[in-house]
Amino acid sequence: MRKFLKTVPMKIYLILLAVVLFSFISNDFGLVDIQKTAIILAAAVDKTEEGFALTAQIAVPKGSDRTTGGTSSVEIEAEGKTVSDCISAIFGKTGWVPKLVFCDLILIGEEAAKDDVVEDLNYFLRNEYMPDSCRLAVCEGKASEFISSKSAIDDASSLAIQKLFSDAAEKSGMVMVNTLKNFAIGYYGVSESSYLPFLRKQRQEGSQSANSEAGSALGTDSSGVEQVYTANETAIFRKGRMVGRLSQEETFAFSLLEGKVFTGTFGAEEKGKPVTLTVMKNEGDVSLLADGEPRAKLSLQVTVRLCCRSISSPIADIATDKITPDIVRHAEETLHGYVKSLWDTCKRCECDLFNLKRALYRSSLEKYAALKDSLLPSLTAQIETKVLSVK
Amino acid sequence: MTARQLYFLLACVMPVAKLVMLPASLADHSANDLLFPALVHLGLQAGAVFCVLLLAKRDQSFFELLEGTFGRIAATILITVYALFLLFASVLPLLEQKLFVQAIFYDTLPSLAAFAPFFLFLAYTASKPIGSFGRVWDIIGPIALVGLAGVLILAVGEADFGALLPVGAAGASGFFKGTMSSAGWFYDAALLLPMLKKIEYRKGLPLKGMLAYLGGGAVVLFFLATFYGIYEGTAVNQLFALASVSKYFAGISMLGRADYIFIFALSLVLSFFAALPLQGAVECLLQAYGRKKYLPTVLAVLGSAVFLTLDALLDYRFGEVLLALSDLFWLFFAFTVAVPALMLLLRRRHA
Repeated sequence: MRKFLKTVPMKIYLILLAVVLFSFISNDFGLVDIQKTAIILAAAVDKTEEGFALTAQIAVPKGSDRTTGGTSSVEIEAEGKTVSDCISAIFGKTGWVPKLVFCDLILIGEEAAKDDVVEDLNYFLRNEYMPDSCRLAVCEGKASEFISSKSAIDDASSLAIQKLFSDAAEKSGMVMVNTLKNFAIGYYGVSESSYLPFLRKQRQEGSQSANSEAGSALGTDSSGVEQVYTANETAIFRKGRMVGRLSQEETFAFSLLEGKVFTGTFGAEEKGKPVTLTVMKNEGDVSLLADGEPRAKLSLQVTVRLCCRSISSPIADIATDKITPDIVRHAEETLHGYVKSLWDTCKRCECDLFNLKRALYRSSLEKYAALKDSLLPSLTAQIETKVLSVK
Repeated sequence: MTARQLYFLLACVMPVAKLVMLPASLADHSANDLLFPALVHLGLQAGAVFCVLLLAKRDQSFFELLEGTFGRIAATILITVYALFLLFASVLPLLEQKLFVQAIFYDTLPSLAAFAPFFLFLAYTASKPIGSFGRVWDIIGPIALVGLAGVLILAVGEADFGALLPVGAAGASGFFKGTMSSAGWFYDAALLLPMLKKIEYRKGLPLKGMLAYLGGGAVVLFFLATFYGIYEGTAVNQLFALASVSKYFAGISMLGRADYIFIFALSLVLSFFAALPLQGAVECLLQAYGRKKYLPTVLAVLGSAVFLTLDALLDYRFGEVLLALSDLFWLFFAFTVAVPALMLLLRRRHA
């Protein structure tokens, strides 16, 4: 090998390979001129009479000394006939070249979500530099106002919102997270249905800024009011339009049916007193039983442990995680109720959240062709919920 | 070239060239039935590879085989036409390679200059004798194997293979459109013809070579299934499948794009593969016109210069290139399947 590498052709080869590899992977040294580039952290899209309004949350340098950390941001809003026009307008207003490589959140305003949201997302789906793992969400009110609100827990509202979409939050069953890629798969799939977390904001009570907001009633500026965000409702979509909203309980049931919950909690009762249970194991499944009259089977099996009671209990009880048959029965009824409510909401909205049309399409093209339009309205659900106690 | 080196080329290197833009093109025409056009091509190419390796037993070069039946002048014309076909086949991998590097490895659209050094490498590679290239496959083959394994291991967990159902949803038209439009990616047997007489023949080489190719083909099919399983109906929007299947692995969100290690390795493999058609074309012309001192270098530099110009001219016309290749699908079947099979009928050299 050493002799082989000493030959002139091999030396030339190695030099050429090095040059080629360098040109492939240099990425122009990854240089980003922060003075000329707008690093977009999040985009908020609303509909206007003319077309679209896009608010981009752009990261800006906060300071160079060690005492100033975190990410500071500014929100720039622009309007246009397309989202691309808005991006160009932002460039025109600021002179910053918008860079979407780091955009991890797209917020859709509540009104915009009532139209086909892929009209809003078209630009992002086309843009090759846009990460398709970007999170999507619908927010109450206007997305521009939401993204411009001041977070009580982070410098940038988008970073605070993204904390709600963490793996831990998803496993808690409190939020159903979705990405640009998965939303597009649902939209373009035969079920034409999908979901997004629905965000709300509320004033952070007791904070210094909240107190200052109290002052705002007296005529002072309210722009500094700190907000906290919640995402425990879920917007459901059919053909890209928001057709309904799942409540917190329905969202939890959806998470359980998707099998995503681990260490999430829910409430039950024992002898009329509230208890909280922790889900330790979650097996959920939704299937279409296509033999004979088609029907949906929603089955749920969770293994839980007692997390807490609302009453004083002996130390021997505190030392055990097991739950009594009374709690099991009540927990099963509770979960059954959640799942039933979820199913009713989806059916009322004609949202194929569980991809049942897709299941039929995959199993039989003939049956799909015959039933695709009548499947959802005529479908009945068979719900099975089983709660097991940790041993 | 030893049998082992040939197997590396067939089983590890050739499959990589089918994983960049072919998956999206197949998904565009054949949707969830994308495996079937690929299966047809792989089957035909495997048969053609078998034929070429049977020819290797005769210990004659491509030109000598043609000359033995058609005479020198006709053989010169035929092999020149074949070289032109190989040059034509080069357009797709070179353009694909350039677009891949520009779109995947750069955050912003780089200038052509960023990719230009590749053409120096191309010229140098094409000027080297094709037979001495065996050692390269000894090195590149295992790199391709590790790269493919890495990408597939990271990707497979995210795939919903149910997306490939129902079988036949794209119908006959989807199948035929997919088959025609993807013909430009399958010319592997044609690349072996200029290597005749350089391949060390062993007993069982044709069968083992074909099996090696089919093994690589199985990897291509598995990749296609994984790709469609990840993107389903939106697969057509993922132009560069090779770089897009492994990014959803759970660890990537914490580590960053660690899968780029494998993707870089595979792009290195692609560089060598992209040079093969030009190298084959130069070899064909050398066999026909003699190995004069500077002829390989002149041909290789000329070829590279032409491709550099084409790459610049066809920068935003990739769709048109694909359309043209789709219209000329018969050319690929003729040169890569029919020619190797018909060559078995050529007159044998008398001892």
